[in-house]
Amino acid sequence: MELFLAHHSSYPRIGDSVDYQLLRRTIGALDKGEKSEADVRAAEDRMTELALAEQIEAGLDVVTDGQIRWYDSISHLAGKLQGIRINGLLRFFDTNTYFRQPVVHSAIERREPLVVDDFRFAAGKSSRRVKVVLTGPLTLARHSIEENAGAEGFGRLLEGYTEALAGEVTALVEAGATLIQLDEPVLVRNPGDVVQAEESLSALAARKGQAELWLALYFGNAAPIYDQLQKLPINGLCLDFTYSPRLTEVVSAAGSAKTLALGLVDGRNTKLENAQFVARAIEKMTRRLATPVYLTSSCGFEYLPRDRAQLKLRHFATIKKELLGGRA
Amino acid sequence: MSREKLHRLGIDLPLLPTTSVGSFPKPPYLLQARSDFAKKKISRDELTAKEREATEFWIRKQEELGVDVLVDGEMYRGDMVAYFAECLRGFEGGGLVRSYGNRYYHKPIITGEVRWLGPITVDWWKYAQGLTSKPVKGMLTGPYTVMDWSFNEFYASRRETCLAVAREIRREVEALVRAGAKIIQIDEPATSVRPEELPIAIEGLQVVTEGLPAYFITHICYGAFEHIYPRMLDMPVDNFDLEMSNSGLDMLALFRKNAFTKDISFGVVDVHSHVIEPAAVVERNLREGLKVLPKESVWVDPDCGLKTRTVEEAVEKMRTLVNVAKALRN
Repeated sequence: MELFLAHHSSYPRIGDSVDYQLLRRTIGALDKGEKSEADVRAAEDRMTELALAEQIEAGLDVVTDGQIRWYDSISHLAGKLQGIRINGLLRFFDTNTYFRQPVVHSAIERREPLVVDDFRFAAGKSSRRVKVVLTGPLTLARHSIEENAGAEGFGRLLEGYTEALAGEVTALVEAGATLIQLDEPVLVRNPGDVVQAEESLSALAARKGQAELWLALYFGNAAPIYDQLQKLPINGLCLDFTYSPRLTEVVSAAGSAKTLALGLVDGRNTKLENAQFVARAIEKMTRRLATPVYLTSSCGFEYLPRDRAQLKLRHFATIKKELLGGRA
Repeated sequence: MSREKLHRLGIDLPLLPTTSVGSFPKPPYLLQARSDFAKKKISRDELTAKEREATEFWIRKQEELGVDVLVDGEMYRGDMVAYFAECLRGFEGGGLVRSYGNRYYHKPIITGEVRWLGPITVDWWKYAQGLTSKPVKGMLTGPYTVMDWSFNEFYASRRETCLAVAREIRREVEALVRAGAKIIQIDEPATSVRPEELPIAIEGLQVVTEGLPAYFITHICYGAFEHIYPRMLDMPVDNFDLEMSNSGLDMLALFRKNAFTKDISFGVVDVHSHVIEPAAVVERNLREGLKVLPKESVWVDPDCGLKTRTVEEAVEKMRTLVNVAKALRN
């Protein structure tokens, strides 16, 4: 079994040194009328380049653009769709970060690319495979409200978001994306949504061509629905192990027909994991697996300070070395 | 209803007393002073002088507006958790993490046993209270929130961390009570984050408040209240300070199903909007609340701390809510 190293999704947009303050300062200056939108785009480009460079330097096989340009996981995508306006702040799951809530006032429609240009930029700056991350339709729908909603409200929202994201998947594949990750953290909070997830994932999978489609679940316990997840029309499963003491046992026992991205490095706490302990867990889960296995973090790294995110990234390689018995 | 408790503590308030959640915006001269201090251009004493000047400004402004229960405005604080982490032993300063959009905060890291080293907020409370005859709230961050909004590299579990912090926060509460504080607010905005951990938050507040002679308020905001109500009423406080406006008064539906049995500080203005709500909107929100809540148990305030607004916006939002509350008293 070969272990690959993959970045999960987001990366800190800031750090304590002046160089890392570029984006924050530029947006602050824009608010005061001292900088332009073009200046902000340039700062986003620069911070994206830094995020990619740090992942590549840490030896990761799969990198992301760090979602540097995202205001939050919800409104960044929803705000670019027709039929939606963006409202007040709400807490994002159990984090101390907040998102702006979409209010859907008419039919959801995708009239412009959402992250295609971001992917093109990252792919042009990376020597490693770039994974595109999209918040999934279920999570978008569960975090939105519909004006004048009736009994059909949620189903209509889900359908609208699914159709919009399907268009984006098509455009991403045309732009050269080979790996697309859908983040659906609501699935572990609302396990009953798995049936609807299957329908929406089928619609997206139909547009993916030769690209791989991964499903990422975090901020909850995936163990109770692991068997159902294995039946979904996806190529890979990215799992958060920090919420579930049983998940290692469940995966070990059930195996996997999908590529697994094992989120064993805690993306929400600064403490470095015991490399030996993590390596043993990987060994246990993958002993009988024929599918590819990736080591990743439990969620994106935007919840960590940059210096700790850097340490954790480098820790991936330490864990891999431990797994290989000290061989580099 | 805790009006009798307030009376016993020597505090008599009008109907619909007005207050604010805690923080006010720092005036530009204080922001400059904090920046200069960080660059070592001015001394700690020079910064403190500016913080005192700004505190006095906000005390005078609240008196001028007719606010009933005052706050010191937290001119000496950066972040509500990092400030206490800097003053307690066992924490290391962490780097910046994002709160939302372009806003970031320093998230502390617990690396050792948490210990109270001496009064943290008491001198500021004394200073503020010395400037006014109206009651000034003692203001602290609660143990569950300190635990949840810090990284933990030391304690074995979240409960153990919360209770360790609670024992030390209690020492600060005792110091505030000794100094004369009668109304103490213990902010627990993280309470609604993990509904399954509500018992830990309650246990933590129990440690902090048990047997102490003060009127306790807790502030909770921006969470999924439907998952913790009405169980949250078991928290050992007299008053819940809640963001009602931002959530479109959604919580009133919960109160209709299960009566709200404590005092409430009813948030009537959005703190994340530059817009100054028209008095008619604030009045409508408050009237909706009074259909469900007994008038004797309702206080009136903003949804949350006003520190992200400009000074002018914060003053006008406070002016509006004070005027509306006064108008509805009769």
